[in-house]
Amino acid sequence: MNAHRAHSPQTHPVFCTIVPPHLLDQVSRNSDEVLSRPARRTLERDATQRTRRQITTVRHGLLSAAPVAPDIDPADRKPQRTISDAENKETLPGKTVREEGSEPVQDASVNRAYAGLGATFELFLSVYDRYSIDGAGLALDATVHYGEEYANAFWDGERMVFGDGDGELFRDFTLPVDVIGHELTHGVTQYSANLEYQGQSGALNESVSDVFGALIKQHSLGQSAQDADWLIGSGLFTDRVEGQALRSMKAPGTAYHDDVLGKDPQPAKMEDYVNTGADNGGVHINSGIPNHAFYTLAMELGGNAWERAGQIWYDTLTGGSLQPDTDFATFATATTEAAKSRYGDGSDEHEAVRKCWSEVGVTAR
Amino acid sequence: MRITVIRTGGFGGLTRRATLQTAGRPDAEELAHLADQAVREGLGEAPMGVPDGFHYEVRVESEGSAATAHFADPKLTEAQSALVRKVLKEGA
Repeated sequence: MNAHRAHSPQTHPVFCTIVPPHLLDQVSRNSDEVLSRPARRTLERDATQRTRRQITTVRHGLLSAAPVAPDIDPADRKPQRTISDAENKETLPGKTVREEGSEPVQDASVNRAYAGLGATFELFLSVYDRYSIDGAGLALDATVHYGEEYANAFWDGERMVFGDGDGELFRDFTLPVDVIGHELTHGVTQYSANLEYQGQSGALNESVSDVFGALIKQHSLGQSAQDADWLIGSGLFTDRVEGQALRSMKAPGTAYHDDVLGKDPQPAKMEDYVNTGADNGGVHINSGIPNHAFYTLAMELGGNAWERAGQIWYDTLTGGSLQPDTDFATFATATTEAAKSRYGDGSDEHEAVRKCWSEVGVTAR
Repeated sequence: MRITVIRTGGFGGLTRRATLQTAGRPDAEELAHLADQAVREGLGEAPMGVPDGFHYEVRVESEGSAATAHFADPKLTEAQSALVRKVLKEGA
């Protein structure tokens, strides 16, 4: 039992990091289901997954996970997917409609979610040797058809949730594979750097999800950095919307310009950083800055973006040097260090990382 | 009664705002009940929410009194969810 308790904090969702460390222990007993459910569920899962569990280390007063290859034959590392249907209600998880290994069903949203989870699992495993989002084979759960005309997708701390879109402006959120990858990557972040979903660390959390969401799409299409569109959420808009996607990593601020939605507010450079109280301090706005830094790096290095550029970002996210409240400058430093340590001091990769941050006006510490 | 919903956050980080006047509507009484309940169930500090989840601010004004409530997906009560849907759909 003690062992279970020691493991449980690693699954606390990012929004829990504002909770002082001495309160973390209480979270699994919290009366608020959003806080307590992930922790409790992990305690339950621990019973069956004990042998796969990672070693946890105490860092910065928080317990967090150091990815350790689980004691399992690499050939047996398979995804464990479950897709549920909320049947247009707002109750989670909904009814189970497709499980791992079962045949495709009639419902295309279910099959897209299933395939998208598979593509995400595949990228993290085959490219970064990460076994599922927690590095220890965690089951991947998603719910589709959440709510009525619900134009959103989110990560609730333990599952991905997708709405059907409102039909007016937005289509089904399971359509773009980068949206599915984006949501699952929130899980990877939660189990690694656990970047606090507020201000600059929140924008970094968002950006990391966009980066790996884009890489999952590029990897599954076999597209090089030069061939990719670098758009996030392409295919979500209905024909009525004047725009290509929700965000552009290539040219932040240009993804849409529409009568109803307004203009894409993303900045590409630090001098245009948006100070706002809304959206947890503009986490979906200011992510444009680190997004564009990554794009610049990937284009400078050329070839497949998931290889060197993605590896540097992955090393940074999971390397253990980031604190939950990391800001852009600290993240820039960490990526520079990660490039140096993997590819060598003064290597092309090292120089390209320094250049990509100076391009967006972020000065590494 | 005047009901305003401001929805922020979400995957797109887009803000939507709509206001609905209940005066003259056949469902005015029903809406007033819904709004009262939704606000009562959403008093206190604004919740942190979840990554990419929507945040809602609801303001209810009537005869010199005003109340504001905050809530966030996926923790809306049935009344909050119904009110938000109605105001965003039918409000201006």
